[in-house]
Amino acid sequence: MTLQHVSSVQGIEHLSPHQQVLVEHPISSKIFLEGPAGAGKTTTGVARLLHYLDVGVPAHSILVLTPQRTLGTPYHEAARSPEIDAGGEITLLTIGGLAQRMVDLFWPLIAEGAGFGHPQQPPTFLTLETAQYYMARLVRPLLDQGYFESVTIDRNRLCSQIIDNLNKAAVVGFPYTEIGERLKSAWGGQQSRERIYEEAQICASRFRRHCLEHSLLDFSLQVEVFLKHLWTRPICRDYLTSRYRHILVDNVEDDVPVTHDLLREWIPSAESAFLIYDHEAGYRRFLGADPEGGYALRDRCEEHAALKESFVMLPGVQTLSHELTKSMDGPPSSSTPSGDVRPALVYEYHRYHPEMLDWIAEQVCALVEGQSVPPGEIAVLAPFLSDALRFSLTNRLERLGIPTRSHRPSRALREEPATHCLLTLAVLAHPEWGIVPTRFDVAHALIQAIEGMDLVRAQLLTDIVYRTENNVPSLGSFDRIRSEMQERLTFVLGERYEGLRAWIKGYASSTPERPGDPAPSHSGETDHGGPSNGTQAGSGPRCQLFDHFLSRLFGELLSQPGYGFHRDYDSAEVAANLIESVRKFRWATEEVRASGENPTSVGEEYIQMVEDGVIAAQYIRSWQLEPEDAVLLAPAYTFIIRNRPVDYEFWLNVGGRGWWERLYQPLTHPYVLSRHWPPPDRQDTTWTDMDEVEAREEALYRLTKGLIRRCRRRVYLGLSELGEQGNEQKGPLLHAIQRVLREMPAEPADSAGGSDLTTHAI
Amino acid sequence: MPFEARPKQQEVLNYTGGKMGVAAVPGSGKTVTLSALAARLVAGNSLGDDQEVLVVTLVNSAVDNFAGQVAGFLAGHGLLPNLGFRVRTLHGLAHDIVRERPALVALSDDFQIIDERESGRILRDTAEAWLSSHPDMINDFLALDLDERQREWVRGDQWPDLITNIASNFIRQAKDWQLTPAELRDHLDRYLQTLPLAEMGWAIYADYQRALVYRGAVDFDDLIRLALEALELDQDLLERLRQRWPYILEDEAQDSSRLQQRILALLAGSDPSTSTGTAGNWVRVGDPNQAIYETFTTASPEHLREFLARADVERRELPNSGRSTQSIIDLANYLIDWTQEKHPVEAVRGALTPPHIEPTPPGDPQPNPVDRHGQVQIVGRKFTPQEEIHAVADSIARWLPDHVDQTVAVLVPRNLRGFQVVNELERRGIKHVELLRSTRATRETAGALGNVVNYLADPVSAAKLARVYRVWRRDDREDADAQRRVDRVAQALRRCRRVEGFLWPRVGRDWMDDAGFSDELLGIREHLDEFRRLVRRWHEAALLPIDQLILTLAQDLFDEPVDLAMAHKLAVVLGRVSERHPDWRLPELTEELAVIARNERRFLGLSDEDTRFNPEHHRGQVVVSTVHKAKGLEWDRVYLISVNNYNFPAGLPHDQFISERWFVRDSLNLEAEGLAQLRAAVGKTAEDAQGRASSYVEGEATRKARFSYATERMRLLYVGITRAKRDLIMTWNSGKRGDQQPAVPFIALQTFWEAGGAERA
Repeated sequence: MTLQHVSSVQGIEHLSPHQQVLVEHPISSKIFLEGPAGAGKTTTGVARLLHYLDVGVPAHSILVLTPQRTLGTPYHEAARSPEIDAGGEITLLTIGGLAQRMVDLFWPLIAEGAGFGHPQQPPTFLTLETAQYYMARLVRPLLDQGYFESVTIDRNRLCSQIIDNLNKAAVVGFPYTEIGERLKSAWGGQQSRERIYEEAQICASRFRRHCLEHSLLDFSLQVEVFLKHLWTRPICRDYLTSRYRHILVDNVEDDVPVTHDLLREWIPSAESAFLIYDHEAGYRRFLGADPEGGYALRDRCEEHAALKESFVMLPGVQTLSHELTKSMDGPPSSSTPSGDVRPALVYEYHRYHPEMLDWIAEQVCALVEGQSVPPGEIAVLAPFLSDALRFSLTNRLERLGIPTRSHRPSRALREEPATHCLLTLAVLAHPEWGIVPTRFDVAHALIQAIEGMDLVRAQLLTDIVYRTENNVPSLGSFDRIRSEMQERLTFVLGERYEGLRAWIKGYASSTPERPGDPAPSHSGETDHGGPSNGTQAGSGPRCQLFDHFLSRLFGELLSQPGYGFHRDYDSAEVAANLIESVRKFRWATEEVRASGENPTSVGEEYIQMVEDGVIAAQYIRSWQLEPEDAVLLAPAYTFIIRNRPVDYEFWLNVGGRGWWERLYQPLTHPYVLSRHWPPPDRQDTTWTDMDEVEAREEALYRLTKGLIRRCRRRVYLGLSELGEQGNEQKGPLLHAIQRVLREMPAEPADSAGGSDLTTHAI
Repeated sequence: MPFEARPKQQEVLNYTGGKMGVAAVPGSGKTVTLSALAARLVAGNSLGDDQEVLVVTLVNSAVDNFAGQVAGFLAGHGLLPNLGFRVRTLHGLAHDIVRERPALVALSDDFQIIDERESGRILRDTAEAWLSSHPDMINDFLALDLDERQREWVRGDQWPDLITNIASNFIRQAKDWQLTPAELRDHLDRYLQTLPLAEMGWAIYADYQRALVYRGAVDFDDLIRLALEALELDQDLLERLRQRWPYILEDEAQDSSRLQQRILALLAGSDPSTSTGTAGNWVRVGDPNQAIYETFTTASPEHLREFLARADVERRELPNSGRSTQSIIDLANYLIDWTQEKHPVEAVRGALTPPHIEPTPPGDPQPNPVDRHGQVQIVGRKFTPQEEIHAVADSIARWLPDHVDQTVAVLVPRNLRGFQVVNELERRGIKHVELLRSTRATRETAGALGNVVNYLADPVSAAKLARVYRVWRRDDREDADAQRRVDRVAQALRRCRRVEGFLWPRVGRDWMDDAGFSDELLGIREHLDEFRRLVRRWHEAALLPIDQLILTLAQDLFDEPVDLAMAHKLAVVLGRVSERHPDWRLPELTEELAVIARNERRFLGLSDEDTRFNPEHHRGQVVVSTVHKAKGLEWDRVYLISVNNYNFPAGLPHDQFISERWFVRDSLNLEAEGLAQLRAAVGKTAEDAQGRASSYVEGEATRKARFSYATERMRLLYVGITRAKRDLIMTWNSGKRGDQQPAVPFIALQTFWEAGGAERA
C-alpha cells in the first residue's frame, strides 16, 4: 500500500512537500519535529507511522508514547484502519501505562528489592478513586488529632493533593521524602502554617509505607518502581529496548521529566525515533509537564525539522492570534495592527449571564441551520464549566435540536438517579446494616425500579408500606392495603411492587453464599421459580460480594419485563458502571478486609464512601455513546489537550477571572515541585507574588494562543456584565481583547458590529 | 447626567492627590460628589491601562448605584462607561484580594464563602454541642428569683440562643483582632483569673473554626481577616495592588471598621510600617452622625473623626443639603444641640456632633422644599403597638390618594415591626414595597421555585398542586378575567381528591372529564393539558440533582432575564448546599428556598429592586423599611414609628435594654460581658496602656454597653428624621407589656417643636 493510498483514508489528505519529505525519510533516522499547534505535526507523525507499516516495519516493534491517552487517538485510529495490513498491533502508551505493564510483568523479580513487605502477594494497582480511599482511611484519624487545622480545604481534595504530591515526586524524579521540605522552603506566608507541609509529608510517608506493606501500587509507586527497579535492570531494559525498536513520541513538551530521562537513555539504542514538540504548549504543567526538558531531547536526534505555517487558522483568525498575543505581551505598542480582527471575532455584551447563554445558543443555531455548519465544527469553551452551566447550555441547544457532547456526562456516577435507586434497594435488602433510607429515597427508587410508576403513586405507596423499626427498614405487602387504595395505586403496579418486595424479602432472609458458588449472570436466567411477572424472589444464597448482589438485583429483577431498567438502556449502563466501580473497590480493599482491619462489609463501606463523596465521584463516560457530530462543551484546557481543531469557537464568560487563575492548591504546588525550582537548600526558594503573576500571565497567554490556533474561522465571545453568581466581570482577558479592539481603525458606518466591547451593547 | 457642583462640592472635586477627609451632612450629595470625583480621576488621563480608581462603600445595594453614577459621568466625559474604576464593598474587596493568592492564606482555589445563615447553623450546632457537655453553666448566670418552671423553660428555650449569640459576638471580635483559637488559648492560659464566658467562647470558636475548615469554607469575617493577612504577608502583592488602585475613594467612612481602615491604609500606602514612600491617595467621605453599625462590631465613627483631625489630611465639609424643608433641618440640628448639651446621660452626649445641616445657597440647582403648615407632626399620644400601626395605616389611606405622584415610607426600628406594618397594608389593599431584608423580587423568584419544589416533595397534595398552578399563571393577576379563571381552576384542583387521576389518569378515568368545568371557561382543557404536561416533566426532573431541577423549573417558569439569572444563582447555591449536606432531600432544600422567600435571610438578589433601589420608582406606593436600610434614601413623606424608650433608650436606669435578658442575674448583658472577658484576656482594655492583661470586673461591660447602645440609637433617630423631604410624622407606642415611655429625645423634639419650631412652618 502506498502512502498516498493510506493517507486518502486517514484524513491526511494534503501533505505539503515538506511533510512528505519528513514522512518518507529513511526509516532508521531519528527526527525531532517542532512547530506551533495547527502546523500539521501530528498529521505528519501519523503519516510517518503509516509509512513505517507501509515499508514493513512490524507493528509490534513500534511504541507510540504520549503524555495522555487521548493524544494517542489519531495514531490509534490510523493503525486500526481496515486499509492497514494485519500484522500485529502497535503499542500506544503513556508513561503510567508503560510502568504498570512492566511492573505487572516483572513483579516476582523486583517486589522484594523494591521494598514490598510481602513480595509473594500479587500487586494491586490502585485507581485514583481507590488510592483516595486508602488515603482517606489513613488521614481520617490524623485529622482528629488536629492535623491540617490551619488550612481551609475540603477533605476529599486534601487527600487528592497529598496523592498529587506523591505523583509529582515520582514524575519529576525527586525522593517523596522531600515533598514537605520543598513546599516549606517556598512558603512565604505565616510561619505557623508551615506545619501543614510537615503534616502533608507525614501522610504521604504513611501512605507509601502502607502501600509497600500491602502490595498496593498507586500511580506514583508504579512509576518509581518502574524507573528505579526495572529500567535499571538489564533484563527489563533489554526486554523493552529489543521489543520496541521504533519510538514515536507526540507532545513531548507536555510529558513529564522522568519520561524525558527515560527517552534520553532509550533513544540512542532505538533503531528510529520521531519526536514531536509543540511550541507554546505545556498545558499540563500542573500535572508535572516539563516543556524545557522535552526540548532538550532535541540533541538526541540527528535530524531537526520545523513546520511553521498554520494549516488551521484562516487569515482573519491569524490576525486575531497575532494581535491578541501582542496585546498580552505588554503595554500598547505604537505599531499599527497587522490587519482587521473583526471578521474573525463576534461578540455581544449582556447584563445577565443567562442572556449570554441565550445568545450563544442562538448563534450556534444560526451557524448550524443558517450556514449548514456541522455541529462537530463548533466548540463552546469556558475556563471552568460548572454543572449548572453545562446543564443550561445543553438544554438550550437541545431545545433548538442541536446535538451536544461534553467532556463528561452531566452527572457523576453517584448523582445518577439509577445509582440512587440501586443503592436504596441494596440497603433495603440488607436490613442488618442499620442504614435507613428516607421516604424520598424509597419513593424515588420505586419510580425507577417499577415500570409505569409515577411520582404520586410512588409517594402514596411509600407512605403506606415503608416502615422502620429499631433502625431496621422494611416494606409491607400490597395485599394488605385497603382495596380503595389498591385501586388508586392500580393492581398492575401493585403486582410489580409485590414482585420487587418478594425479591428483596427473599434475598434478605436467605442464607449466605458459600465460597465457590457461581457468580450470577446478568441475563437473569435462573433455575428458581418466581412470581408470574418473570422475576424470581431473591431466594438464592446471599451474596458475599456486593457487586454480585447488584448484578443479581439487576439481572433477576430490574432488567425483567415490568421493571424500570428493562427498556431503559441508560439506566442499564449506569448499573453496569456501578457494578464495575464496586468490583474495583472490592478488589482494592480486599487486603484490608482479609487482614481483619476493617469489619464492615464492602456494601456498607461502599455506600458510606459514596455518601462522603470519596468514590463514584468520577464521571465515567462509557455509557454515553455520544454523537460524533455534535457541539462540544468543554473546559478550555480539555479542548486544547484533545487537540482537535474546529471551525468555530465560543468563549464563555470572557470577563471572568477564571481565564487567568490557575488551580490553587494549598498542599501542593506545580511550579515548586518541578525540576526547575531551586532545591530547598538554596536561598531564593520562596514563591513570590511576582512568580505568581508571571505564571498566570504566561498561562493566559498559552491558553488563548492554544485556543486560537485550534480555530479555523471565527471566535465568538460570550460577555456578560454579571457572572454566573451575579459578580461583576472585568478580568484580564477582557482587558486584553479590549486593547486589541481599541487598536482597530473605525468601522464603516453600515457595519453591524461595534468596535468596542462596552459600546457594542445590546 | 448633568451635575452642577455647588461651591463646597467643587472644593472636593478639585482634589488631585494625597489624603482628604470630608465630613458631610445628610442629603449633601456626598455620593454623587464622590462619583463625580471618581469619574474625573478616570477621565484625567493619569491612569494606566491596567489601573483603576477603587471605590469602597458599605453595602451591596450601594455598589451598583455608585457604579451606575460613575459610568454615567464617564459617558458624559465621552469615555467608555465601565472601565477604569471598581466599586466594592469591604467584603467584595476582601474577596478580590484573597482571590489573588488563596494559597498564601492557606485556602484552596475552590474555597467557599458561607453566608450568615449557614455560619449561623454551624455555630448553633457547635454551641449546642458545647452546652450538652456543660449543662450546669447556666446555674451561674440565672436570676435567683426564677421558679423551677421558669428555669426549665429558660434552659430549653432561651439559653441555647443566648449562648449562640454570645459566641457569635465573641468569635467576630476575636477574628477582628486576628486571633486564631490557638493564640487565644495561649492568652487564656497565661491569664490568672478564671473567665468562664471567655473559656466558653474559646471552646465554641475552636470547634466552629474546625467545622469551617472541614467544609473548605470561610465566613464573612474570615474573608476580611485573611485579606488583611495576605496584604501584610506579601509586600509584592501589596505593591501590585497599590499599582492597580492608585486612588482610593471611601464612602460611608463613618462605618469603617478597624480592619477596613487598616486594609485601605495599606492599599493607599499610608501605613508607616510598610510605606515605601508613596504618599497615598485616599479620600474618605462620611457623616459621623450617621454611624449606625457599631454595636458589637469594631466599626466606629471615631476612626473617621481621628482621620479628619490628622495634620496630613485636607479637611473638607459638605454642610449644604437641599433635601429637606427648613423645619426638618431645624429639628435635626436641634437634636444635635440637645444631645451635646442636654442629654441626661453624660456618656451619650458625644453621639451627635456638628457640622449642622445648612440649606443650599440661593440659586442652587437643588433648592430646599418650601415649608408648609402641618408637615411635621410629633404625635405625643400613647398608642398600643397595634393602635400605632392602625393610626399610621389610616393616615396613609387618607393621604395617599391625593399624592400618588409622591414618595412615602414607613420607617421601623426592627424587621419584625416592619412585617407587622406590611401585613396591615396588605390587609387594607394599600400598594407597598418592602425594603426589609431581601427584597420582593428575590423572594418572588425564590418563592415561585420554592412552591414548585415544595409540591414535588409532597406530590400527593392537591392543595400544593393548586398553588403550583397559581405560580404558573401568576402573570394572570394583571387581568381580571384571566384571574377569575385561575381562581376557578385552582379551586377545582384543590378539591381534586386524587391528584394521580389528573396527572397520571388510568384509561377512561381522567379527572378533567368529571371536574365539571363549564363552557364559559374557554379552552380550559388545552390549558390544563399544558399544565399537566409541565407537571409531569417536573415529576421526572424531581429525580435530578437539585441544581438541575431548579434550572429545569426556571426554564418553564420564567421569561425575564433577571429571574432566570436569579434562578441560576439559586441553582448554584442550592447545589453547594446539597454538597455540604448530602443527607438533605427535597423537604430540607425546599426549606432553604422557603427561607429566602420568607425573608429570613439576606441574599443578594440580582434584580434592580435589590441592587438599585430608588424610591422615585415607587411613587404612590408605601415603602416599608428599617431605618438602617433607609440610609442614603429619601422620601417626600416619612413615618418614623415606635420611637419609645425600648427602641431608642437614653441609657437611664429605668430603660430596658434588648441585650439584658430578664432571666439573667443582675441584669447582666452577657454578650458584652463575654467580650469584656475576651478583651481582658488579650490585654485590650482601655485601662491598660502597656497592653498588659488587666483584670475583669463583672458588670462594668454591661454598664458601658448601655451607653454605647444608647449612643448608636441616637444616631439612628437622627438618620430616620433626615430621610424626610417634606413631611415627617413621628409616633411612639407603649410596647408589648404597656410599660414603655416615649423616648427621651422624642420628648425633647416634641417640646422644641411645640415651643416654637412649629411657628416657622
